[in-house]
Amino acid sequence: MYVVCIIRVIMVSSSMSRVMCVSAAAGVLSSSVEQKIYVELNETVPCVRLLNATHQIGCQSSISGDTGVLHVLETESDLDWILSSGPHPPYMVIMETAFFNRSVMMRMKNSSRVAGVAVIVSKTGLADNFSPHTTCPNQNTGVYSASYGSDLANCNVTMWNPLGNGLSYEDFAFPVFALKDENQTQVIRKCYQDHNLRVNGSAPQYPLCAMQLFSHMHAATDTVTCMRRTDLQNRFSINPEVLCDPLSDFNVWTSTRPLNNSAKGHAANESVVIAATRLDGRSFFWEQAPSAEGTVSGIVTLLATIQALSPVTQEAPPPRNIFFSFFQGEAFDYIGSSKMVYDMERNDFVIDLNNVHSMLEIGQVGLRRGRSLWMHSDPVSRQNKSVDTEVSEEERKLSLFSHALSLDQPSVSQPLPPSSFQRFLRVRGIPGLVLADHNTSFNNRYYESLYDDAENLNVTYPPDLSPDEQLVYETDAAKSLAEVATLVARSLYIQAGGEKKNLNNITADPKIWFLHQHVSDCVRLLWFLGSGPPQFYIGLGPRIHGPVHSVTRFVQYILANLTGTVTNLTESQCQNPSEVNTENKDLFSYFWVSGPASVNNTGEPFCRSASVRLSKAVSPAFELLEYGSPNYSIIPQSRWKSIRARIFPIFKYCPLLTNHTSMESFRKWTLMTGFVVQGHKWTCL
Amino acid sequence: MNLERIPNEEKLGLSRRYYLGGFAFLPFLWLVNVLWFFREAFLKPTYTEQPQIKSYVKKSALGLIVWVAVLTTWITIFQHFRAQWGEVGDYLSFTIPLGTA
Repeated sequence: MYVVCIIRVIMVSSSMSRVMCVSAAAGVLSSSVEQKIYVELNETVPCVRLLNATHQIGCQSSISGDTGVLHVLETESDLDWILSSGPHPPYMVIMETAFFNRSVMMRMKNSSRVAGVAVIVSKTGLADNFSPHTTCPNQNTGVYSASYGSDLANCNVTMWNPLGNGLSYEDFAFPVFALKDENQTQVIRKCYQDHNLRVNGSAPQYPLCAMQLFSHMHAATDTVTCMRRTDLQNRFSINPEVLCDPLSDFNVWTSTRPLNNSAKGHAANESVVIAATRLDGRSFFWEQAPSAEGTVSGIVTLLATIQALSPVTQEAPPPRNIFFSFFQGEAFDYIGSSKMVYDMERNDFVIDLNNVHSMLEIGQVGLRRGRSLWMHSDPVSRQNKSVDTEVSEEERKLSLFSHALSLDQPSVSQPLPPSSFQRFLRVRGIPGLVLADHNTSFNNRYYESLYDDAENLNVTYPPDLSPDEQLVYETDAAKSLAEVATLVARSLYIQAGGEKKNLNNITADPKIWFLHQHVSDCVRLLWFLGSGPPQFYIGLGPRIHGPVHSVTRFVQYILANLTGTVTNLTESQCQNPSEVNTENKDLFSYFWVSGPASVNNTGEPFCRSASVRLSKAVSPAFELLEYGSPNYSIIPQSRWKSIRARIFPIFKYCPLLTNHTSMESFRKWTLMTGFVVQGHKWTCL
Repeated sequence: MNLERIPNEEKLGLSRRYYLGGFAFLPFLWLVNVLWFFREAFLKPTYTEQPQIKSYVKKSALGLIVWVAVLTTWITIFQHFRAQWGEVGDYLSFTIPLGTA
């Protein structure tokens, strides 16, 4: 056994070297040594880089990780220590929730002493509001522009998200991770308290606890550059590196009367009322988007509407078809709705814009708290007389049912809030309304953030309920959404020309509120949703558990359960229904599902047919190869090789290599040494 | 190869070959010519072929300096401005670093 001293130099701009002396039998290092040094942190969530036409947003780390001495940011004096007075820069900041705001993050961004930030995600110390989104969401891809309602564009009249601090759209040169697991945070705190605490105002001594974060992103600059470089790699490189991927997933749609999926373009004799909502959300961190008020309230309301309508529309179908659509990717400049409108324009969808009679969209409706529901409409298209009449009719029909809740109209000069309906208006002046619980600005104080969760919607259960009992308990939030759903269902029925006598049978069931907690027993999915609340980030399509995002699959199967019929096909027939004469693959899709487990039912699988379909939700700009397009969403997500975090102790002080300038001089010396050695070799010729 | 044991005509021939070869965009041949024949050309006592070897060494040194100047200038400009050149910079690059401009 002999002792081998190895100098490991981490060759990045803002790191320090470690001198690691290990005992090695015959010079072979085993990985158990690594386990004795590093503590891997598994429950962390990174912030990743996204691009748009002109900028890069998000966070970037160095290629072999950013290392810094741990310091917990709890007070203002900690901030001074990190930014100016601490003697061991660069620091890795463990940020308490209260300090995760714009002013602190901008100071971190401008400082060279910060190697990275790990944010503790908890409710203690959470400010009254936190929205990392912009103040005017999707302002450049909506309907209002210099040529359409120019005085309404760019939120001149109404600032929809005044509490937004825009952090999600800033570019950080250091990694930012979120620490979601309380046990892991305790480990980090303990390491900090054992080694890094200041004693009586004097600086802590080595050994110090340090953390290393890896989140090196491949993409840079903007979308045009990234796609060009990916293209160059694919054409000329032996081992092509893909730098970024467009955000893509699927929209979910269904209709009360089945539409022929193989007949694209204008559908003869079809007049359609579209009822829409969004299916996604986002936050500062990757794949985290609980989006309770922002998204789930709309999804649940529309699902309850569909459930309320489906028996009546089977018995007494209204003259017009009702087309329900859940749009994916709306947080990123309306990916799903712009794709559907694009397909409709090119006759590549089951219906086209001439089939559309009117539209009703459900926006954020969860924070009503007994107050009014607002009907937003577009003042510019209402300048056209016929459109105005139709919209007023639609409002009147909604107002017919305002017994349980009151309906209000915003002032006539107020524009539409950010909504998928705006993408339809860009192409055609369709009469339509957007329902929301807010008048001039969002009631949601945590819009598109990690904290927009069930607690934000006041979903609370009495403490003594079991999870199964919670599934069927009617919370106030559920009752409120059920009222909205009943209103929407009845007015959609009337809007579609149905008869008034059937209206009393249309009522939404408050028990449909289950999206937050568990999978309902009524729909046993083939894919397991995972522990914890579902996250609504659009992502890139193929997932670990299947080719489609789990939430999209979830909504698809719920819809199949609510609107479909049970068939007695076998499994192979279910997968190839065209072989069976009685079934029609063009009108229905077939799902092989297992039944509910109950006393008299063993949960045997069966085949369900429903007119529920998925349609691709990827921005048309990526199909048209116009990567700088101002008309469509061009937001790709960067690729990366590895994302991880670990903490370890630093034992020895290496004065040569502790900051940028010393690293440069080290490199210079190495280069000089190399030249001297080479020169000596030549002189011996 | 030890130059001591080679007759002078062969030394001249070697130096000429290295000098001529450097014109085929091979400046390292000129570098070798300069370093290898420096002692022969300038530090040894005079012999018949020495003036010619001396001229070859001087011309190689000149060519080498020109090459070094051109390459240094181009490398400096490219490293400094590649990111700003956008599309042109990417088409000129063999490997583009990941994650940075």
